[in-house]
Amino acid sequence: MSIPYISLPQPEELTSREKEDAMGAYLMMLAAFAVSLPLPIINLIAAIIYFYINRKKSRYIHFHCLQSLLSQLPTTLINWGALYWALQIFFFENVEVNDYFYAYLGFMILANLIYFTFSIVAAIRARKGVFMYFIFFGSYAYNRVYSSKNILFYDNEEQPEITGQQLNKPPFE
Amino acid sequence: MKLTITHQERYSRSELLLRSIFGVLYITLPHAFLLLFVGLWGAILSFVAFITVVFTGEYPKSIFEFQVQLMRWKLRVNARIYNLSDGYPAFGLLGTDDEYTHLEVPYPEQISRSLVLLRFFFGVIFVGIPHGFVLYFRILIGSFISFFAWFAVLFTGEYPKSWHRFIVGTLRWQFRVGIYLAYLSDDYPPFTGEA
Repeated sequence: MSIPYISLPQPEELTSREKEDAMGAYLMMLAAFAVSLPLPIINLIAAIIYFYINRKKSRYIHFHCLQSLLSQLPTTLINWGALYWALQIFFFENVEVNDYFYAYLGFMILANLIYFTFSIVAAIRARKGVFMYFIFFGSYAYNRVYSSKNILFYDNEEQPEITGQQLNKPPFE
Repeated sequence: MKLTITHQERYSRSELLLRSIFGVLYITLPHAFLLLFVGLWGAILSFVAFITVVFTGEYPKSIFEFQVQLMRWKLRVNARIYNLSDGYPAFGLLGTDDEYTHLEVPYPEQISRSLVLLRFFFGVIFVGIPHGFVLYFRILIGSFISFFAWFAVLFTGEYPKSWHRFIVGTLRWQFRVGIYLAYLSDDYPPFTGEA
């Protein structure tokens, strides 16, 4: 059985504030620069805070915040791996530099470049009111936000009014 | 930009003493602790806004509102630290203090990208150093005035109006510089604390 989805808003239906806030979600990747702390966790923390502050504003913002947050996870883990390895080599001197380390560094730089490029493009498109779906994360975020199973109430949507006492309830609630 | 701190007819002496003895514990520490984290978030948003302004020429409205609310919070706390207002400063970005402090910053529809870049790279030279130099002496004089005003309030229950105006002017000047350096306005801050 297919899950019904809520229709996607078109660019002209979105307010400029929604577009700006959606764009801001992707710019959380610059948080570490802003606080001048080169720790991979800073961007992730910023994305989580941004997600929880803005997700209820509208579905459009929720989608972009979620996609941005999820897409940060792989690069954060990869960066943590590089940081841990580098600390073991240069700070604690437990292991020596080898070719695997350089290969991992190359992989990390490539992963970050891809993530950075995709996020910039997504930010530009979000500001124009256009959806961009990342691999894996895009479809997950869409399912999570635009599925009719999503029970979150958004500030820009009318909430169903509950009148009187709710005596009758579904059997599996 | 409009910044006002109401000059009260009478100031509470008991509140003054309470603030002077325990103010660090019940005003400064709790507010500073929260403002540190909210301020860090503000710094991140400010950088995001900088990038946005450079590429679009517009300051994101949500971030603008956040920054102004953060400044209002700081103003509320400053007004108590300098004994310019009675009462306890409200916590949070949505806290209100209309009876005592007021800060309005008009939203700029367009921000000059070149000015933003100029401020980013050379802001310290053409804003920080000249304003910082003058403000240093003004704050120094302000702390002496604040010290004498403490006794004035303690013995008379009144804060001399001209002294109040001077310290509020100093705060206004600092906030103007802050607003300019945070890209919230394109107007270069004047070298005066007058409204």
